Amino acid sequence: MRRQLRSRRAPVFPHSYRYRLDDQDEVNQNYLADEEEEAEEEARVMVVHNLEEEEEEDEVKEEEEKNEEEGQGQPTSNTWWRKLQIMNEYLWDPEKRMSLARTGLILVIYFFFYASLAAVITLCMYTLFLTIGPYMPTFTERVKPPGVMIRPFAHSLNFNFNVSEPDTWQHYVISLNGFLQGYNDSLQEEMNIDCPPGQYFIQDGNEDEDKKACQFKRSFLKNCSGLEDPTFGYSTGQPCILLKMNRIVGFRPELGDPVKVSCKVQRGDENDIRSINYYPESASFDLRYYPYYGKMTHVNYTSPLVAMHFTDVVKNQAVPVQCQLKGKGIINDVINDRFVGRIIFTLNIET
Amino acid sequence: MGQKTPQIYSVELNGAKDMKQTDKGDDKDKYRGLWSTCLELRKNHHKEHVTKEIDLDDHKLSNKELENKYHTNIVTGLSSTQAAELLARDGPNALSPPQETPEIIKFLKQMVGGFSILLWVGAILCWIAYGIQFSNDKSSSLDNVYLGTVLALVVILTGIFAYYQEAKSTNIMASFSKMIPQQALVIRDSEKKIIPAEQLVVGDIVEIKGGDQIPADIRLLFAQGCKVDNSSLTGESEPQPRSCEFTHDNPLETKNIGFYSTTCLEGTATGMVINTGDRTIIGHIASLASGVGNEKTPIATEIEHFVHIVAGVAISIGVLFFIIAVSMKYRVLDSIIFLIGIIVANVPEGLLATVTVTLSLTAKRMAKKNCLVKNLEAVETLGSTSIICSDKTGTLTQNRMTVAHLWFDNQIFMADTSEDHFKQTFDQSSGTWASLSKIITLCNRAEFRPGQERVPIMKRVVVGDASETALLKFSEVVLGDVMEIRKRNHKVAEIPFNSTNKFQLSIHKTDDPTDKRFLMVMKGAPEKILEKCSTIMVNGQEQPLDQSTAEAFYTAYMELGGLGERVLGFCHLYLSADEFPETYSFDVDAMNFPMSNLCFVGLLSMIDPPRSTVPDAITKCRSAGIKVIMVTGDHPITAKAIAKSVGIISANSETVEDIAKRLNIAVEQVNKQDAKAVVVTGMELKDMSEDQLDEVLTSYPEIVFARTSPQQKLIIVEGCQRQDAVVAVTGDGVNDSPALKKADIGIAMGIAGSDAAKNAADMVLLDDNFASIVTGVEEGRLIFDNLKKTIAYTLTKNIAELCPFLIYIIVGVPLPLGTITILFIDLGTDIVPSIALAYEKAESDIMNRKPRHKKKDRLVNKPLAVYSYLHIGLMQSLGAFLVYFTVYAQEGFRPSTLINLRVEWEKDFVNNLEDSYGQEWTRYQRKYLEWTGYTAFFIGIMIQQIADLIIRKTRKNSIFQQGLFRNKVIWVGIASQIIIALILSYGLGSITALNFTMLRPQYWFVAVPHAFLIWVYDEVRKLFIRLYPGSWWDKNMYY
Repeated sequence: MRRQLRSRRAPVFPHSYRYRLDDQDEVNQNYLADEEEEAEEEARVMVVHNLEEEEEEDEVKEEEEKNEEEGQGQPTSNTWWRKLQIMNEYLWDPEKRMSLARTGLILVIYFFFYASLAAVITLCMYTLFLTIGPYMPTFTERVKPPGVMIRPFAHSLNFNFNVSEPDTWQHYVISLNGFLQGYNDSLQEEMNIDCPPGQYFIQDGNEDEDKKACQFKRSFLKNCSGLEDPTFGYSTGQPCILLKMNRIVGFRPELGDPVKVSCKVQRGDENDIRSINYYPESASFDLRYYPYYGKMTHVNYTSPLVAMHFTDVVKNQAVPVQCQLKGKGIINDVINDRFVGRIIFTLNIET
Repeated sequence: MGQKTPQIYSVELNGAKDMKQTDKGDDKDKYRGLWSTCLELRKNHHKEHVTKEIDLDDHKLSNKELENKYHTNIVTGLSSTQAAELLARDGPNALSPPQETPEIIKFLKQMVGGFSILLWVGAILCWIAYGIQFSNDKSSSLDNVYLGTVLALVVILTGIFAYYQEAKSTNIMASFSKMIPQQALVIRDSEKKIIPAEQLVVGDIVEIKGGDQIPADIRLLFAQGCKVDNSSLTGESEPQPRSCEFTHDNPLETKNIGFYSTTCLEGTATGMVINTGDRTIIGHIASLASGVGNEKTPIATEIEHFVHIVAGVAISIGVLFFIIAVSMKYRVLDSIIFLIGIIVANVPEGLLATVTVTLSLTAKRMAKKNCLVKNLEAVETLGSTSIICSDKTGTLTQNRMTVAHLWFDNQIFMADTSEDHFKQTFDQSSGTWASLSKIITLCNRAEFRPGQERVPIMKRVVVGDASETALLKFSEVVLGDVMEIRKRNHKVAEIPFNSTNKFQLSIHKTDDPTDKRFLMVMKGAPEKILEKCSTIMVNGQEQPLDQSTAEAFYTAYMELGGLGERVLGFCHLYLSADEFPETYSFDVDAMNFPMSNLCFVGLLSMIDPPRSTVPDAITKCRSAGIKVIMVTGDHPITAKAIAKSVGIISANSETVEDIAKRLNIAVEQVNKQDAKAVVVTGMELKDMSEDQLDEVLTSYPEIVFARTSPQQKLIIVEGCQRQDAVVAVTGDGVNDSPALKKADIGIAMGIAGSDAAKNAADMVLLDDNFASIVTGVEEGRLIFDNLKKTIAYTLTKNIAELCPFLIYIIVGVPLPLGTITILFIDLGTDIVPSIALAYEKAESDIMNRKPRHKKKDRLVNKPLAVYSYLHIGLMQSLGAFLVYFTVYAQEGFRPSTLINLRVEWEKDFVNNLEDSYGQEWTRYQRKYLEWTGYTAFFIGIMIQQIADLIIRKTRKNSIFQQGLFRNKVIWVGIASQIIIALILSYGLGSITALNFTMLRPQYWFVAVPHAFLIWVYDEVRKLFIRLYPGSWWDKNMYY
């Protein structure tokens, strides 16, 4: 508003035209300030328009200026009224029929432009969804080969605990117990079917048909199931660690050769780990748990686990352990990705 | 002929003093300031030699006094030891070159100019971010260090590139200054020696001869027929005679001083060096020129403006999103990294280099058209020129006298004055012509230099003055071998032209063996010749010269004179064989032959004709809205005549004087508004106030300044600049250099120009031809348009690069486009295409529109920014996002899953992140997918930039009007884009640091419909602009 006033007053000066040009230049520098320029243009139009009136107004304006010169003198009600008028004219100038309506026009045009852009992108996304099945991902090459995770997992792959201080390992136990809730025998028996081991559990039929899942019972994990030893061996310094292979839709280990798990010391003396028990004893993921049909249809799919029971590990010393998947089509030595086909963690069991 | 040098020519070194007197008010101080700066400068250079004003009095001293003053001897010269001492004291006799900015400063300027600061900030933020990360976690990734280094490298490399480009264009000029070292013949130790002119010292006795450049300011001790060309110093085009007499108090007027860098045209002279190097008159003027500040070129202002806009957008969006990120509970460190990304996305890293390349391409193109551009930015300045102040001689004209009209048999005939084909078409059957041609041929001392038989007549070198040369060439063309004719008509006596008699006479034996009479031929100032005549030849017959024929003569004389032409009268007389037998000895001093009752034959007028290309060029200028002002030292009448014939004053416009003459009223009574043209002389200009000059400049569209001194050019230039005009000035003399510097674009003449002028100028016209300026203007305008296109093209993708960050911050999707990848777009795929736009042809006749207004027609204006950012830019982002979402969705992450996935996605320890299908991803698998996303987004932008490139070919016309295939370089650009993208994706896809992966081929085509959409949308925009010119749409959508 202030700018507008200034340029309105401009014709009082002898070189009014110049001044207006200057004003415009100033505005030109300020491109993105749309609104301001709008206002400015408005003002200019009016200046041209009101040239005749200008002379009458001169006196008043001079007064106005005097007021200003006298150190921000009190604006009289007259000037306020004038400002209001100008404001009114800005909002709607009946002669020119140009005003906020123009700003409005711009808004409308942009609205339609962006609305149609939105329509276009919606259409594109819609087409995109048409091409993508909800049950099976189009490509799986980025997620293959499968990655590996272990439980218990609490933001860290270092297992530091003191056998004699339950506080240091209690959270592992809680974590494992929580994780294994879904594997409770009763639940599994209720939800899933017992399918024949040693072969793929292939379920033909339409993509959108619900698929059945094979049972993986907690009891399969024997000593590491937490059923017999509710502390999963942590209280005795023989921790159980569960290993889970990342789910990949449609992933099938090479025929007849289930993926095996094997752990050893990653660096240092191999004898730091003297014995590991695997549950299930085959130390493998049975073929019947494959393939996975995706979470839309394969709702109750239970990821198979392999439990590693470190029954005899050197104590009071950090032992780096690397557990690898072994099998045809499994890659476990990607340099950049330390979780593909293998996992490395350290055991530091204090007594 | 031989007009007395008028007052205004008496240029002293007080050009500045003149101005002080003429200017009133504020500017007084300005000029004084200028003058004192100049003195100050000199003070710094040679502290011991400060002289407040030039108080040269050597011209008043006698030879003896001079010898004493300079401790020298006129006969033996200085001794070598003396000379060596003096040389050590005063320094070499050379103008100290203008102060150069040290190279390192130039280099550093490139490093911090433009966007560099912003990128430096980005780089430093990267390193700071790494520092913080490192202090928290020793094993933190080095990504930020890499990014910072890459940014720094980008700045340094683009800086080196810009520096190299600038150095290259400066080098072109360096070749000019490296001229063959000048030699001087000097007497030292009583011996004549040739030494380099640089080693001259005061007191040296030098000898000069015709053709030499005067090696220092010298006081002549002896002169024989010596004439010098002082035009480079004073602007006088007439050769100035030099002798050893003291003729004027003013050192610039007196005849016994020769000035450094002027040329001795003929004769010989011996002189004593009185000033050397910077202490010479030329030296003073050169330092005056260096005192005039160099204005910033319009394109530099535009680019600065553009940088401000982009930097403003970058910083405000950056800060805004920094605040948003912080308030969204992002860690400050992450927010800093976002800030860097936003800066990098917003800054078009490659653009400034592209602009430089574009400008230098145009500079090359202009050099081919004889405009050598010294300062790259001047390329565009020429395009925005709104006033050209042009010299007359040599620039508008051919710089040689040529016969233009003949008058005989009471008729005016026109001769052909064009440069090359010299075919005379006037009636040559009349007997009068036979006589006239004989006089022209015989009464002429000029001769061709031998050995030029194969050279076209007009280009042969002639020994003789300008009018004689013109006559010689004229007769050679019309009659054939002139020398042979002269041989057949043996010359027995001759009186050469001199300014007292104002005629030239020679007596010949005729080539008719039966005719024993002598033929006396004479030419000279027409009125003088007529006085001597009692008869006149009409149609080959002698008739008594009566009142009516005399009147006819005067009418013709006035008419030709009014055309600004130099008119000569011709008469002859056959001496009767009785009175003058074959053995008669003519005595030219005693004049023992008749000098009256001759037979008048005809008139012939000469002019320095305009170059044939100039009228066209002026018309072009006019339609291009450029005002051409002629500024010349020549006579107003000649100036006006030339101005009329080239169109500077158009055929139907009149000056106040013309109107007065036509209406037969006093000049004062004429309504000044009726006059479109005006001729202002230097004298009038001198008495004008600044306001009056402004009034002249604004109220007359056609202006000629005549009889102006080169210093007054400066005043005229400043007057024009006060009208907010972009002024181009041509000049050749040393004295022009302040005006050349002051002008927005100074144009020096390549052939006639002095080194000082070339130094001060921004551009050099290799052929001295005005028409070349016009081609330059055309190129300049084209490059402005094309730069607009380039910038629009480059700015568009900034939004597509920025949006990923904004979406990433706000919506929390995995980062769609990496910072390094952005750099690959800005400095990889986009470089060649944006240069290719420089080859785009003009859309319409660019010479038919007004020159752009310096302050209103910006390079980057609101419509351009809005259209690029908010229209095409957004469409591009949508297209690129589509590719991104397609890749993610097909790999398992549907868009709904992606939202707010960012935190989990980026956790290094989450190695079993579930996607939309229940699959689990390790961190590295996700990272690889993210890079695939980068590549996809990159390809998306690249594909749409192809469409962007095509739509940017025109701003208004349909692409099909422009022709899709006319600019082949565009296709090279498109090919380069695709090839670079292919290499990045498939060739370097295995290098993890670059964050590119091999993309499935089908993803390359996902954005193609969007590219077409962009094309169609832009065609619609252009269609509406063409359909509704002046409408709201036109105003807001035409950039």
